[in-house]
Amino acid sequence: MLRVLAALLSLLPAFALAQEKVTVGIVTSLSGPMAAPGKFQMNGFRLAEEEINSAGGFALGGRKYLVDLKAYDTRANPAEGASAMQRLATVDKAPVVLGELHSGVAAAEAPIARDYGVPLVLTIPTGPGLTEQGNPFLFRVNANNDQLTQALADFVARQGWTPLAFIAWNNDAGRGGVNGMKKLLGESKIGYIGYFNVGEVDFASHVSNIRAGSARAVMLLMDEEPGSLAIRQIRDAGLKTQLIGTLAMGSDRFLKRLDADRLEGMVQYNAFPPNAAVPRIRAFSDRYRKKYGEEAHGFAAQSYDGLMLAVAAMQRAGTVTDGRKIRDALAAIEHDGVIGRIRFDSKGQAHPPVYVTQWCANGSRRILFPESLKADCGGG
Amino acid sequence: MRKALLLVATVLLYALPSLAAGTPYLIHVLVLCCVYAIPAVGLNLMLGYAGLVSLGHMAFAGIGAYAAAVLMVDAKLGFWAALALGVAAAGASGAAIGAVCLRFRSHFFMIVTLAFGLMLYSVMNNWDDVTRGAQGFPGIPRPAPLGSLSFGPLQNFYYLALTAALAAFAVQWRVVRSDYGRTLMALRQDERLAAARGVNAMLYKTSVFALGSAIAGLGGILHVSFLRVAAPATFNLSESINAVLIVVVGGAGSLAGPALGALVFVGLPEYLRVANEWRLVVFGALLVLLVLFAPRGLAGLIPSGKK
Amino acid sequence: MPAAVLEQTINGLMSGSVYVLVALGMVLIYGVMHVLNFAHGVLFMLGGYVCHFFFTRVTGSYALSVLLSMGVLALVGIALERGVFRPLHGNLRNQVIASLGLILVIENLVVAVWGPNALQMKVPATEQLVPLGALRFPLQHLLVILVTFAVVAALFLFLKFSKPGTAIRAASQDRLAAMVVGIPVERIDWTTFALGTALAALGGALIGPLFLVFPLMGDAPMVKGLAGILLGGMGSVPGAVIGGLLIGVVESLSTLVLPTDYRDSVAFVVMVLILLARPQGIFGVRVRGED
Repeated sequence: MLRVLAALLSLLPAFALAQEKVTVGIVTSLSGPMAAPGKFQMNGFRLAEEEINSAGGFALGGRKYLVDLKAYDTRANPAEGASAMQRLATVDKAPVVLGELHSGVAAAEAPIARDYGVPLVLTIPTGPGLTEQGNPFLFRVNANNDQLTQALADFVARQGWTPLAFIAWNNDAGRGGVNGMKKLLGESKIGYIGYFNVGEVDFASHVSNIRAGSARAVMLLMDEEPGSLAIRQIRDAGLKTQLIGTLAMGSDRFLKRLDADRLEGMVQYNAFPPNAAVPRIRAFSDRYRKKYGEEAHGFAAQSYDGLMLAVAAMQRAGTVTDGRKIRDALAAIEHDGVIGRIRFDSKGQAHPPVYVTQWCANGSRRILFPESLKADCGGG
Repeated sequence: MRKALLLVATVLLYALPSLAAGTPYLIHVLVLCCVYAIPAVGLNLMLGYAGLVSLGHMAFAGIGAYAAAVLMVDAKLGFWAALALGVAAAGASGAAIGAVCLRFRSHFFMIVTLAFGLMLYSVMNNWDDVTRGAQGFPGIPRPAPLGSLSFGPLQNFYYLALTAALAAFAVQWRVVRSDYGRTLMALRQDERLAAARGVNAMLYKTSVFALGSAIAGLGGILHVSFLRVAAPATFNLSESINAVLIVVVGGAGSLAGPALGALVFVGLPEYLRVANEWRLVVFGALLVLLVLFAPRGLAGLIPSGKK
Repeated sequence: MPAAVLEQTINGLMSGSVYVLVALGMVLIYGVMHVLNFAHGVLFMLGGYVCHFFFTRVTGSYALSVLLSMGVLALVGIALERGVFRPLHGNLRNQVIASLGLILVIENLVVAVWGPNALQMKVPATEQLVPLGALRFPLQHLLVILVTFAVVAALFLFLKFSKPGTAIRAASQDRLAAMVVGIPVERIDWTTFALGTALAALGGALIGPLFLVFPLMGDAPMVKGLAGILLGGMGSVPGAVIGGLLIGVVESLSTLVLPTDYRDSVAFVVMVLILLARPQGIFGVRVRGED
C-alpha cells in the first residue's frame, strides 16, 4: 500500500509541472567502424543532458525546458548523415544539431543545416576544409587538424624529434594528421609513413621499417585500441624510439590496456588532460567517473561542452525554436567549457587550448605544454 | 492496363512534392531512392540479365562522381558537360576493367571484381591531390540551372533525379527488349550453346559491363551533386554489396526490381531509424528470409503477366 | 637491404598465417559443398567473442574456452547449413546473398550485445616473446602457426586416409555418384559445415589474445584469406595455405618500396596477375564446366 502511494507521489511532479521539452538533434556513429569513438561522444552528451535535466531543465523566459536528445546513427556514411540531418531539421524540428565524428559525413550535413537554418555544432570531426566552405550555420567546438598539428609540430621541432615517422589510420583522421605534419614540418623532416586500414591490427611490417630507418620519434595517428597494440608491438620489437600519440592515448583506460613500463615517456596531444589541476576539468572528470565508472575521454568532454554551449546559446537568443537566432547567438557567444573558453571565429571554428601530456614511470601523466598549465606527474 | 498504371504512377511521382508539401524529409528520401536505384539498374543489366555478379559496382559510380567533381570544381566545367564526361569515364573504365574481370568465371569473377572495387576505393581514398582523399571533396555544386529551373531547392532536384531514374529504366527496358538483351539472357543461361551459335560472348559481356558502369556513373554523379560532397565512403565495398542486395531483393532480372530494391533499401533503414542498434540486425534477417522464401525478390511477389 | 627483405618476409609469413587460419574453414566448406560463405569472417569473430565469454566468465582455462567456443560455433554451423544453405543448394547467387545478410545480422548482433569496444583476452602463459633472428614474436603467434599446420596436416590425413574423409571427397567430386553408392551426402554437408565453422571459431579464439577481440576483426583477414584461396586454387587446402602466406609476404615486402597506403592493392594486383597467367590458381584443377 505504502509502495503504491510512493509510486503515485513520484508521478506528481510530472503532472504538476508538465515540463516543456526541447529536442536537440545528435548525429553520431552508433554502429559501424566508428562506433567505439561514437560511444564516448554519446557519453558526453548524455552526461550534459542528465545534468541539465536533473536540475529541472534550463531556464528561459520564466519557464524551464528539459533537454530531449534525439540521436541518429550516421555510420560514417555521407548519405545517412544527410538524411539524418534532414529528418532532424524537418521532422523532429530540432532547433540545433550537435556531434558527428567523420569529416566526410559532416560535409554532407553542413549544407542541409544551411538550407533549413538549423545550426550544426561539430564536436569531433577534424577536417580543416569543413570550416572553409563559408557556411554560417556550421560551428566546430574541437580543434581541427591544422590546429592540433600546429601545437604538436612546434613541440616536436623544439625537441628535435625529427625525422618523424608515422603509423596512421588510412582515413580522414590519420591522413589528415600526416598531411598536416608534413605541411608544418616540411617534407625533409618526415620519415617513414605506415598507413593501415581501420580494423587492421598487425603492425609488424611497419615496425620493421621504422627500426631500419633513422626516425627519432614515431607518431601514432589512431584510436586507443589499435594504439595499444601498436605500442605493444613497437616495444616488444625492442624499439625504444620516442612515441607520440593522439588524445585517446592520454587516459587511464589506455593505461589498462598496456602498462606503465611500455608507455613511459610517450607524449600525446590532448584536448583534455583528465587529472589537470584545473577546477573545471577536475569537476568534469569526477562527474564522468561517477556516472560511467571510468576515466573521462576527450571526445566526451568536447561533446559535453557542445550541448552546454547549445543550451547557453538558446538562452542567450531567447528562443528554443528559431534556428537563425540561435545561430546568431552561437556566433557571438563566449562559453566557459570543460575544454576551455569557447569562442567561434568568423569561420565558425573555436580555438580551444591544445595540451601536450607525457606518461611518467609510475603510470601518471604530466603536462608539458602549454607553459602556463605545466604540471608534474599526477597532474595530467 | 499495365501501361496505364505506369502512367498514373509516373504522374503521381512528379506530383508528389505538391501533394506532400509539408514533408521535405519524404522528398529527400525519395531522391536518395532514385540515386540508389540508378546504379542498381546498371547492375541489374549485368547481374540480372547477363548473370555477372559484380561485387565492385559502386567503384564505377565513384569514378563517374569524382571525374565530374574534378571537372566541375577544378576545371570549372559546367555541370551538364561534366555529367556527360563523367558518365563516359565510368563507362570507359567499365570496359577496360571489365575486360580483365571477364577473363574469370563465377566465384573467381566475383572476387576479382571485389578486388578491383577495393583498389579503386584505395585510389579515391589515398590520392589526396586530386580526390581530396579521405576527408571528402566538399563544395560540389548542384546542377546549373536549366532555363529558369534552378536545382538548389530540394523539390527541383527531386524532379531531376526522378527524370534521370526514369531515363535509366527506359534504357533498361529498351535493352532488355532488344536482340542485344535477348542475347545477353541466352548467354546467361548457357554460354556454350550461345557461343556455338556464333555469339561473341566476350564482346557482349564486356559491353554490358561497360553499359552498367556508365549507368552507375550517372547515379554516382547525381549522388554527389545532391549531397554536395564526394567521399570515398559512398563508393566502398559495403556500398557495392548494398547494390547487389538492392538488385537481388528487388528481383534480379526483372524490370521493376531496382526500383523496389532501392525503396526497401533506402526506405526501410530510414523507417527503422528509431531502433538504431537493432535496425541492421532486422535488416540482415529480412534479407536472409527473403532469399529463402522469395528467391525472385520482391518483383517475384507481384503477380504479373509477362516478365 | 637484404636483412630488411628477410625481416619483411618473416613478418609476411606471420601475418599471412592469420589469413590462412581464417581461410581454412572457408576452403573446406567450398571444397566439399561448393558454397562460398562470405559470412565466414564474422563467424571467426563470433568464435573469438564466445571464447572470450567462456574464458572470462565461466572457466579461467584458455584451452577449455577454445574448445567450448569451437563446440558452440559447430552448432551454429549446423543451424546455418540446415536453415539457410541447404535450401539454397545449387543457387550460387542466392547463397552469396544469404551469407551477406548473415554478416549484417551477426556483426550487428555482436555490437548490440557486447558493445563496439575491443575486448582483451589476456593469456599470461603465451605472452612471452620468442626471438626469431632479429625479430621477436609472442609465443601466441607461434602457437597460431603451429595449430594452423597441425590442422592442415590433420585435415589432409583425415580426407585422404579415413573412411569418412574419403566419403567427403567422393561427395565433393560427384554428388550424384556418391548418393548412388550410398554415401549420406546430406549428413556430410552439415558435418563439413560444422567442421568449417568450428575451425573459424578456433581461428578467432587463437587470434584474440594476440590482437584483441573486436567486431571488425574478421573483415580484413577474410578478404585476404579469400584472395589467398583464389590464388592457391579454390577447394585446395594446401593451395589456401600457400596463397594466404603469399599474400602476407607480398603485402609486407611492398612496404619496402611502395607507399604504404596502397599495401592491400598490391596484394590484389599480384593476385589478379597470377590468376591471369594461371586461372585455376596455383594448385587448382581446371574443372570442366566451371571454367
